[in-house]
Amino acid sequence: MSKITSIIRCCQYSRHCLFAALLIPISACVSNNDTNLFQDLGGHAGVAQITDNFIMEIANDEQIIDYFADSNVQRFREKIEEHFCAIADGPCEYTGDTMVQVHAGMNIGEADFNAVVDNLIVAMDKAEIPIAAQNRLLARLAPLRPEIINQ
Amino acid sequence: MTNKIMSKKLLMICGLSATLFASATYADSKIKGTGGVSSIDGSSGGGLIPWATLGSYAMDNEIGATGFITRAEINDFELAVAGVSANYHDRIEVSLARQKFTIKANDASISQDKIGLKVKLAGDVIYGAMPQISAGLVYSKLRDPATAVAVGADSVKGNEIYLSGAKVWLNSIANRTAMLNINARYSEANQYGLLGFGGDDQDKKLQWELAAALFITRSVAIGFEYRQKPDNLSALTEQAAQDIFIAWFPNKNFSVTAAWLDLGEIAGSEKQTGTYLSIQGAF
Repeated sequence: MSKITSIIRCCQYSRHCLFAALLIPISACVSNNDTNLFQDLGGHAGVAQITDNFIMEIANDEQIIDYFADSNVQRFREKIEEHFCAIADGPCEYTGDTMVQVHAGMNIGEADFNAVVDNLIVAMDKAEIPIAAQNRLLARLAPLRPEIINQ
Repeated sequence: MTNKIMSKKLLMICGLSATLFASATYADSKIKGTGGVSSIDGSSGGGLIPWATLGSYAMDNEIGATGFITRAEINDFELAVAGVSANYHDRIEVSLARQKFTIKANDASISQDKIGLKVKLAGDVIYGAMPQISAGLVYSKLRDPATAVAVGADSVKGNEIYLSGAKVWLNSIANRTAMLNINARYSEANQYGLLGFGGDDQDKKLQWELAAALFITRSVAIGFEYRQKPDNLSALTEQAAQDIFIAWFPNKNFSVTAAWLDLGEIAGSEKQTGTYLSIQGAF
């Protein structure tokens, strides 16, 4: 009974209620990390490292580098870092253009979007970000997809 | 004769996918593991059931292909499967598989061929609130029909259709990526079609299937599957099948899946449990 109560309580805080309920034996909502994501990404140094690695991965990716041909790398670096910091509840405010503005006219497809996600995962791996923090960041970035693809 | 035609078909599909593949963008655009592995029917899925995912890492402007071999060993039987699939723009998947089911006691075997078509209808497995919804068709034909006829099956070939929904949560239990898949299958197949289709004790045709998986790391997923099956033959009892699995994706071109199977009663032999091993190449 107490298990059911705790799942119901858990479900009030989680969108993944159905899945949690189905996996009662290993349901571990309580172990989900609710500490500050920015800190778990390594603070300013960590986010800067992820951003640097991310830019390197994109630069080496033939599939998508063309989208960035006209980008000002310094500005891109600054705004991405700011965006990651802000979305991870860090002490930053994103001052760049909206995602729709940034990607307007680029007509980015699903495959290219996924390729960039892959680059970000590799960037975080190389920055030795724990998988839990990686997934938390990815889950916060994922809702931006409709503002990025097919614009 | 059937054998020759099938081999020709298999060659044609292989050739076709190779040709398409040669002229297409290299298919590596999905996140690792999200193309699934190869089910025993050849379609993208887990092991015992297909999932709403389409095989390989092909996305909207890409073409992909997979090839696999699988071996299951349970108390009184063995199942060996080999197959291929082709994925066009992550929209249409065509799959072929040949299964060889061996009865250990007398070394007799039953072979059957499976041809599958799966179409992604809506959604995306990872992004958005909508699950990925796919519809599938599987045509099965026994190459050794004698056993199916002997146990009272209505037909030695048949079609099954299914509707499949899958959803991935990037940040789920213990901050790991999780997937849930549910299938509704309309089927008269007796033991995956190995004992033919339909029978003198026709069961309901709507069957439910469920799979859940959790990526412990980016390269290792664990999970379970459950497959309802009809019980159409008065002479034999058929039960639901289930498995727990671990899949390893060292890279996007190769995966290994190991599982523990509980296939219930098969052809009069109770409590058939055992091991499952499958390797897949994806391009």
